[in-house]
Amino acid sequence: MANASRPSPFPPQSGLARPRVKLTEQVWAPVLASPALLLIMLFALGPIVGTFWLAFHRHLPIFQVYEFIGLRNFSRLLTDERFWSACGTTFYFTVVSVALELLLGLIIALLLHGPLSGQHRSASTMQTDAGGRMREWRVKDWIGVVILLPWIVPTVVSARIWEWLYHPEYGLLNYFLVKVGLVQEPINWLGDPISALHGAILMDVWKATPFVAILLLAALRAIPQDLYLAARVDGAGPWATFRQVTLPLLLPVILIVLTFRTMDAFRVFDAVYVLTGGGPGNSTETLSIYAYKTLFQMLQFGYGSALACAMFGLISLVTAAYLLLLRRQLQA
Amino acid sequence: MNRTCLHSALCAVHSALLLLALGCAGSHEEQDRQVVVFKHGKLAGDERAFGALLREFEQRHPGLTVRDELLPSSTDQQHQFYAINLEDRYVPFDLFAVDIIWVQEFARAGWIRSLDEHVPKAARSAFFPAAIEAATFEDALYAVPWYLDAGVLFYRRDLLERYGVAPPRTWSELIDSTERILEGEGDPRLKGFIWTGKQYEGLVCVALEFIWGRGGTLFAEETGPTQTHAADALAFMRELITSGVSPALVTTADEETARHLFGDGRAVYMRNWPYAWSLLQEQDSQVRARVGLTRLPAFSGRESVAALGGWLLAIPRTARHPEAAAELLRFLVSSDVQRRMAIQLGYKPAYQHLYQDPDLLRVQPWLTDLYPVYESARPRQVSPYYLILSQLVQPELSAALVGRKSPQQALQTARRQIAAALAHRSTDPAQGGAGDQPVGGEQSGVSTSPSPRGYLKPGRASPLGVTIMSHSHVSGYMGRDLRMREAD
Repeated sequence: MANASRPSPFPPQSGLARPRVKLTEQVWAPVLASPALLLIMLFALGPIVGTFWLAFHRHLPIFQVYEFIGLRNFSRLLTDERFWSACGTTFYFTVVSVALELLLGLIIALLLHGPLSGQHRSASTMQTDAGGRMREWRVKDWIGVVILLPWIVPTVVSARIWEWLYHPEYGLLNYFLVKVGLVQEPINWLGDPISALHGAILMDVWKATPFVAILLLAALRAIPQDLYLAARVDGAGPWATFRQVTLPLLLPVILIVLTFRTMDAFRVFDAVYVLTGGGPGNSTETLSIYAYKTLFQMLQFGYGSALACAMFGLISLVTAAYLLLLRRQLQA
Repeated sequence: MNRTCLHSALCAVHSALLLLALGCAGSHEEQDRQVVVFKHGKLAGDERAFGALLREFEQRHPGLTVRDELLPSSTDQQHQFYAINLEDRYVPFDLFAVDIIWVQEFARAGWIRSLDEHVPKAARSAFFPAAIEAATFEDALYAVPWYLDAGVLFYRRDLLERYGVAPPRTWSELIDSTERILEGEGDPRLKGFIWTGKQYEGLVCVALEFIWGRGGTLFAEETGPTQTHAADALAFMRELITSGVSPALVTTADEETARHLFGDGRAVYMRNWPYAWSLLQEQDSQVRARVGLTRLPAFSGRESVAALGGWLLAIPRTARHPEAAAELLRFLVSSDVQRRMAIQLGYKPAYQHLYQDPDLLRVQPWLTDLYPVYESARPRQVSPYYLILSQLVQPELSAALVGRKSPQQALQTARRQIAAALAHRSTDPAQGGAGDQPVGGEQSGVSTSPSPRGYLKPGRASPLGVTIMSHSHVSGYMGRDLRMREAD
């Protein structure tokens, strides 16, 4: 069999070599992919299916209730004012925090890439002066580490830090505001429905902006320098260069960053839960906090799963929208 | 960056495996030595004092070793831990501390054992009756009181003396004296009356004290005068804040926030649990020997009411060493141990006679004042539904406090939420749920359910239990639950 293909001057056209490759691929691909697929099935798909299954039941372990009730959990969702209020809070939280994170992240990335990076110096000094280059790298690394700190700190820890910053009596924030004279009386930031929600947003922005900045910085570094040179030759100013060169080339990464951040912000739990516990008056209760309380504190497994499913559906919709946008962007 | 992440992840996995291996080895070794695992939240005060108690138990029972395992001090986290673990076929502990509000729930779920054989009916009258009521489910005792709490009023004795004010008996006296003292001191850092108004269980306790004190009820299903009283009480709490008698920070304060503030000498009055007393009297406390403790004020023409809190000991139904656990339980709830825990750790005993105990009174003379408070303290809704009720009511109470909703609106929403969450009881009477009485009868509300286990249809559950088992932790434990019920 192999002999027949050997004299052929066009190996790719050989009738025997191709099917053999194809055959092995067909056999090996599923075999090699099966561990990963199995893991995904076990740890992602399984729980999701299980949760959906639970959502069609009334399951109260305390009362030994386990019965199929069809869509009644979901119809209860529709009339549950606490669910709608949590939806509103979650959407507001997501939109405001992600918008701020993107804006600030972009500014920081541009600063790190431009004025703070030292990359605009001529390439020859960078190559010849090894010592100088080392130093530059070190400065840049330090900035990177400092910028990344909020992202590195575990969320629960940073939520505790912010809880103390916001503390009405011992908090640093109030201390400064009173010292500067901006406010007369210390403000109970987390005790007021509006400032509590914005306090949580601020913390999330503080925490997630570095993530956005680092990803955008990587994308900025990937933009070919000759495009900027060409723009300069064409007489483009900094703003026009940003609008016409930087932004369009960043867009795919921006969309990816947005997808990640939106999903994360939508599911926000630990940050808000530690900071406010959902209070005051449920003004900071997000969907995941409501689902958690229903599931693990009220032990209503059926309805809690329905809440989780609703959340899953909403995140899926948002993600699908982003992916569509991204695909269109990549095709263009 | 990535490499460090990966490295630390590997380290974490490695150490987890190591721990696992060590854990396995440990449990093998201990199998023949009868280890009683005692699970409870972190205790305040000196850890060695409690350790010494356990060592004493071990000396008295040569075959037994006690392993003391701590949970986070957050009550919610403890509840979550127990709810998940008690469903299991094998529970990794033999004795554990339950919050007084969990007993009905755990007993109803069949997670804990009846202790009737260990604590005869005659012996129960030595405890405060309210605590025994909260621990009794369908005429059987499921937990034994370990230490008790009740809402009390702390005051700054020095400040009150300086202004010639007696400890307030009524709320209007408290308001008047607060205003006088705050005005006289002229210190913007000094607050008036602080209490726990954060959206959590502590708020329910405080709100119930105001509502009960006003003659209202919080969990009643029907509208009526008791609801009006409840709305009045909430309006009163809101007024405390708007009038400046209580600082705005109470809407985010829990016990510890309040205690720290009061302990720094920054408040005149504080509603808290008696545990704070010992901490306020510590060497480095700024208000040491300047604090008084009395019962909560009353509304004029009414009685002062305190909410009863406290912890009890219970044995899981699937405990591995129930007999040894019962030994340890009997030791820990004995009046001798409760007296020593009161002296050494500041926990208030659940025995009535200890409040006349000369040894104890020598150290804590104000316990005599506490006796009537404990005697009249009311348990929160004694019902297996309590945790659901509380979770639904917390946000509404908090909303009323911060002015997000009017008291009437808040109470109405709470009632609607409760009705929706418990809808199955009225819509499916055939399911056997009608017997459970989640609401109403706040004082005497022991559940009178005649047949607690009428819900499950095992035939339908069995294939599901098996299929879901393999998928995830959560549904897996559900699967085990179903198998267990079938075996019943």
